[in-house]
Order: sequence, then C-alpha cells, then structure tokens
Amino acid sequence: MDAKNKAVAEKKAATANPILEVDGVTLQYKTKEHLITATYRVGFDVFPADRFVLLGPSGCGKSTLLKGIAGYMKPVEGAIRLKGREISDPGPDRVMVFQEFDQLLPWKTVKQNITFALQNGGKTSSAAEADDIAMEYIQKVKLAGFEDTFPHMLSGGMKQRVAIARGMAMEPDVLLMDEPFAALDALTRLQMQKELLQLWEDTHFTVIFVTHSIEEALIVGSRILVLSPHPGQVKAELNAHELNHDNVGKKNFSSVQQRIHDMLFADRILEDEILAETDRK
Amino acid sequence: MSNTATITIRPEFEADGIGKAKTDDVARKLTLFERILEMHGVRKLTILVLLIVAWEVYTRWSEVSAYILPTFSATAAALYEAIIQEQLLWMVWNSLTVLVAGYVIGLIIATILTTAATTTRFGNDILSTLTAMLNPLPAIALLPLALLWFGLGVDAIIFTLLHSVIWPVALNAHVGFMSVSETQRMVGRNYGLRGLVYVAKLLVPAAFPQILMGLKIGWAYAWRTLIAAELVFGGSISDTSGGGGGLGWFVFSSQMDLRIAHVFAGLFMVILVGVVVESVVFNAIENRTVRRWGMQAR
Repeated sequence: MDAKNKAVAEKKAATANPILEVDGVTLQYKTKEHLITATYRVGFDVFPADRFVLLGPSGCGKSTLLKGIAGYMKPVEGAIRLKGREISDPGPDRVMVFQEFDQLLPWKTVKQNITFALQNGGKTSSAAEADDIAMEYIQKVKLAGFEDTFPHMLSGGMKQRVAIARGMAMEPDVLLMDEPFAALDALTRLQMQKELLQLWEDTHFTVIFVTHSIEEALIVGSRILVLSPHPGQVKAELNAHELNHDNVGKKNFSSVQQRIHDMLFADRILEDEILAETDRK
Repeated sequence: MSNTATITIRPEFEADGIGKAKTDDVARKLTLFERILEMHGVRKLTILVLLIVAWEVYTRWSEVSAYILPTFSATAAALYEAIIQEQLLWMVWNSLTVLVAGYVIGLIIATILTTAATTTRFGNDILSTLTAMLNPLPAIALLPLALLWFGLGVDAIIFTLLHSVIWPVALNAHVGFMSVSETQRMVGRNYGLRGLVYVAKLLVPAAFPQILMGLKIGWAYAWRTLIAAELVFGGSISDTSGGGGGLGWFVFSSQMDLRIAHVFAGLFMVILVGVVVESVVFNAIENRTVRRWGMQAR
C-alpha cells in the first residue's frame, strides 16, 4: 500500500514542476503584548491539481501560513514562490475562500459578487462576459435561481457555495480555503465536502485547504501536511488521494486517521506538561 | 449493561406514511383587518388623529385663551392663510437653501477630516480630540461669536450649521471605516483593489450604515440649529438678505404680533419639514441601500 502510494507520488513529482514552493518559511505577527512566531521554517511543495491540506491543532499557524501564501503577510525568513516568482502582495492569481460568512459583499447580489471579482481582478473587462462566467459557476455550485438574491437571504451553506463559485470563477493558480466548512452544521458540511470533490473532478483545480479535522483532511485532501503547534513546524507529509467518503470507518481510513491522531496527541501531552511546568513556577 | 437499570427501554418505530396536517392554518392569508393593523403608517396615523381630536375637544371645552392655546381648526386655518397670503412656503425655501449650503460645505470638511483620520495616526488624533472637545458644544452657543466674526447675515448662520454638521458626520464615518471587517478588507485586496478604488468600491459601501447614520444625525442637528438661529436674530436676516426671512423668523415675528395660531402653524411647518426629510428622504435611501442589503435591522 505504502509502496504504491510512494510510486504514484514519485511519478507525479517526476512529470510536473511544483506550482507553489514554500521554502523554509518563518512567519511572525504582533499582538498588543507579544510577538508570536506562528510557523518556524516550514517547507513544502504543491503540485498542479493537488488537493493539499494543511492540518494541525489550533495554534499551529496553518491559517497564518495560508495568509502568507495569499500575500497578506511577509515571511521573516524563507520565501514563498508561485510558479517560480516570489509572492509579495495579495493578488487574483491566489484567491482565498474564508471561513467567515461576511466574505460576501452584502451590498452585491450573488451574481454581482462574482462579476465584481471578475472585473476588478482583471479576468475580463466586458460586463456581458463576466455575466456569462458568473452564471456558469453559479450553476456549478447549484445555486441557479438565486443569482439576484442578496447574501443576507442565503443560508450559511449557500453563502459558502457562492464564495467557492467566486473563487473558482477567477480560475486562480491556487485556490486557498481557510476552514471554509468549519462554521457549517455537520450535515451541510458533509454535503459541501462531496460537492467540492465533484467540482474538483470537473476541472482538477489546485487547492490548498486548511482544517483542524483529521477526518475532513483525509476526505478532502490528496496530500496532507501535518503541522505541530507553538510554533508550527512540519511533522509529516502524507498521501490521502485514495481516501474519500466511501472509506470513512474502513480499515485503511482509520489506520491513517489513528496515525495522525497519535502524532498530534503526542504534542498535546507534551504541551500539557509544559503548561503544567510553567504553572508550577 | 448497567445502564439498563436506570433507563427505560421502549420499542423503536418508524412512521410509514406522514399524511397532511389536518389544520388549515399551516399558511393562512391574513384577513383585511389583520393586514391593516400590520401597517405602521395606519397605526401612526390613528395616533395622530386621536391627538388632534383631543386637542380640538380640550381647547373648545376648557375655554382656554386663544393666546395661550388656539384650537386645532384655528391653527389649520392660520397655516392655510400663511401659505396662501404670507408666502410661508417661500420662507421654508429660504431656510432650506441656507441649510443645504451649510450641510454641503460641512460634508466636504467632514470628508477631508475623515480621510485624514482614516489614513494617518496624526489625523486620527486630531479628529478624536476635536470631536471630544466640540461635539458637546451646542452649535447655537457659537452664534454670538459667529455674529462678531461674520456680522448679521447668512454667513454667521452657515458657520453655526457647519459646527452642527461636521462632528457627527466625521465621527460616524470614521467609526464606520474602522469597523469594516478584516475579512472584507482582505477580500477587497485579494481581487486587486488598491488606493482610491479600494476606498470607493469596498470601504465606503461596507461602512455605509454608519455613514448614513452620521448624515441623518448631521441633518437633524443642522435643522434644529437653523431654526434656533433664525429665532434669535431672524429679523436681521430678513433685513439684510431682503428675501423675507426663514421659517424661524416667521415663528418669531408671529409671536411678536400676538398671532398665536400662526406661531403654532409655523411650528407645525418646522415639524413637517423635519419629518419629510428624515422619514421620507432618508427612509427612501435606507430602503434602497442598507435594508435591502440586510446591513441594518428593520
């Protein structure tokens, strides 16, 4: 099993160049009182058509890492390169889908939210063409009939679908998803995971997906980067391209799940010991 | 296994066919009477009619002096007469032109202050200090000073209007810009918005509920200030501008002539203009923007 995975991975690596290279990246940010090191010398490569998952407990810097890739933060050490060019600013070649529902602009309808992105992001200057593209993606995420609705009339799941449609319509080099389904109820989340995989079957877009759920990582991802917390460091990189909804609960699924669980749980114990130590002092 | 002692175990079941609910009230149209009661306008109008009836009945039955409290019918007659014969509408127009001039200049200054406050830390300090100092100062209290600096005339009134417009508008807009969510800011930058385009296409609409709130408060303050200023030296305004004075002057001069019904008619006109602008003009803007977008509670 492992040998087969490895062979597939090697074949992929041999035939394609990475689309995104994260090279020894250390990210820091300031709060009012502290300077926090979110990730320390993290490195990985993302290949075209990867469903690349950043997985880790809270505090492992996975969201910060995604912000770095999006260009909202500059690394203090290392470099992030998209197609060989170093990232310096946010831009429409890396579209972000957020967890928060207010990522949709409330003063624009579903369709306008997408055409706004297309026209300002330099995808097209013609309003008619933007309309056509928007409608195409609205149908893809099964929201036909809601194109002239304002976001506040939509349910949480529908809002996330619009955000995904907006991101995909831009046809970015990589789609960045920051726990996009975390604020949804369990049934809707399951539905959204399935739909995301169906969309991927259609166009084989490259996506980097942040989550703290091991199960979601295995279902959604084809390759999983496991990060340890405080500061985030690479713990492992695993293959999950053969795992999906159908093998949840099966032996191969649960064994990987258990493996990751043990990796993260080891950290948790260590962390608790450190906390206990500092409490005593 | 030990659970069985504490919980009651019952057989499972699945309903094999759910019929229609037998009640007719799953979704019923409201009756005509229920629908009329749902209309805010109707309910408010009812209160207004009750007040007018109470006013008319009280003044007729208690025989209170017409110099203290004229009847509603006398006030209505005075209003009609003032509109037809004394160019009351022209006076309203005079007041409104001064008001609009002050309002527009105030908005321009407020925009400059807000821009400075939103883009630089120094501007932020200036705005917060000035607002904290000057916002509690009633605009009308500046009138004596304004008279000294600008003389008797429209300029002095406009100066006081500026004071009542600038602070609420600038403060609300600034708070609005500051409270635009980080996610929305990131979305805007993600799609390549920069500089003024970013402000115009993202920050302004995102902060629009607060901006509109500032515009409303500024308008209300300005209207009150204007009427008060015209009351204080309305006569002089009418002399210098020669246009017949404003609404405040009408109220003031009617009181001087002991035409109390006309005083009431003038006050009624002040209320009417205020209500029309606040609930018709601003309400229309709200309905087309923030309410439609779900950015403000109904």
